[in-house]
Amino acid sequence: MIELRDVGVELGGATLLRGVSLAVPAGARLGVIGPAAAGKSVLVKVMAGLIPPTTGRLIIDGTDVTGWSEEKLAPVRARIGMLFQNYALYDFLDVAGNVGFPLAQRGLAADALGPRVLERLRAVGLAGSEFKQPSQLSGGMKKRAGIARATIAAPELVLYDEPTAGLDPVTTSKVYDLLRADHDASGATAVAVSSDVAGLVTFVTDVVFVYRGQLAYQGPAATLADAPDPLVRQFVSGALDGPLEA
Amino acid sequence: MIGERTLTLLGARAIAVTREVGGIALMTGQVLRALLPPRLDGRELVRNLHRMGNRSLPIVALTAFFAGGLMVVQSAPFVKRLGATSLAGWAAGYAVLREIGPILIGLMFSGRVGANNTAELGTMTVTEQLDGLRALAIDPIRYLIVPRVLAMLIMLTALTIIGDLVALVGAAVVAYLVLDIDWRTMYFSFADNLTPHDFFHGVYKSVAFGAAIALTSCYFGVTVKGGAVGVGRAVNAAVVAAAVSIMLLDFFITYATA
Repeated sequence: MIELRDVGVELGGATLLRGVSLAVPAGARLGVIGPAAAGKSVLVKVMAGLIPPTTGRLIIDGTDVTGWSEEKLAPVRARIGMLFQNYALYDFLDVAGNVGFPLAQRGLAADALGPRVLERLRAVGLAGSEFKQPSQLSGGMKKRAGIARATIAAPELVLYDEPTAGLDPVTTSKVYDLLRADHDASGATAVAVSSDVAGLVTFVTDVVFVYRGQLAYQGPAATLADAPDPLVRQFVSGALDGPLEA
Repeated sequence: MIGERTLTLLGARAIAVTREVGGIALMTGQVLRALLPPRLDGRELVRNLHRMGNRSLPIVALTAFFAGGLMVVQSAPFVKRLGATSLAGWAAGYAVLREIGPILIGLMFSGRVGANNTAELGTMTVTEQLDGLRALAIDPIRYLIVPRVLAMLIMLTALTIIGDLVALVGAAVVAYLVLDIDWRTMYFSFADNLTPHDFFHGVYKSVAFGAAIALTSCYFGVTVKGGAVGVGRAVNAAVVAAAVSIMLLDFFITYATA
């Protein structure tokens, strides 16, 4: 469904991605792991069309969308949902307004929108919080509101940028349970960036390891701990000694 | 060596300023393009009109009242010495309508509304809210920037007109209290000596100042880099850029229409 061919990204004189080639078939669940500032978030933003590749091609459903204008990309983006690392909840809307925003912008009438928002809020465990402002939510609640907004329009592809960063272990488990249940029901493709490898592998089936802007490893999530690449093994085990540079 | 270093610094600064001016020009083009055809989020426009205009009115009125009075206080020694009471209203009105009103209200508007706008957009940028809009296929320029630019243009113009009137009232009150000039004399001094051109001269300026404040505050807001510290730097840059723009525009508009 989504494919990157030899993608490179340079911003402000810095090389953020180099020679990344990756194909994510429809319905797949891919995890993206790697050290901080390795280029993981840039990778998913390229997939969402938010950062244009400096080199290489971005192909969605067989169509090369590289270099498309914002207007031309709009129908493509309408099929993608995204959870941002910093939640990206709009300060000027309450929780219900945030969650219903994608559908409201597509012209869904208020009487049809209300039940959809309530159903999504119930699904993520935020029933009763619809009139709260984003500033009144805890980190976990913000993540769940972000997930509800990313998935309310039933997108074919959902990109999760650090869905559990900063959350306690119990809330982390709840978030991954929620993502599993959502994707089991919808069958949507998922790409999730996370530094929490243990939690991530309970949700995804395949993993790529990003290191210094390059894909250093790609393989099944189940055998990640036994990956042949010492970089991956050290990252997964958390060992201090190894080839990974701090 | 010192000369070379100074030149390097000057060159780097010149490139940075050129980049920022280019960025503001580019944003101006994007705003104009988004207005053709005009497809606005009406609620967002009304929300901005209210918070940028209505909430600025008390402070603008207070400042304008005393600015008008101040013009009379400054001219009082000459009015008394020459006995030119019939010109007191003209002196205060001319200065207020053409210069003091638009500049003072523009600077206040920049400090209150422009700085707030930069901080708000900057925070939205660093918390990925603008990317969030783009991810939903919503153009941030059309949805966020255009309503703010229009609201600032409309409200600064309206506040300047209201402020001008309040300043003239302030001038009349102070003239009565300090110089014992009655209301009729002040009224005829305004009416006989000031022309509609004096009034519109200030209004044109307020439109230009509104555009400058709106575009600089939005530009520095959406180009924030570096988290909370970056937001602080952006607010500072926006206020300085708006103040410099106001002074330059004032000079060139006055010069062109003199």
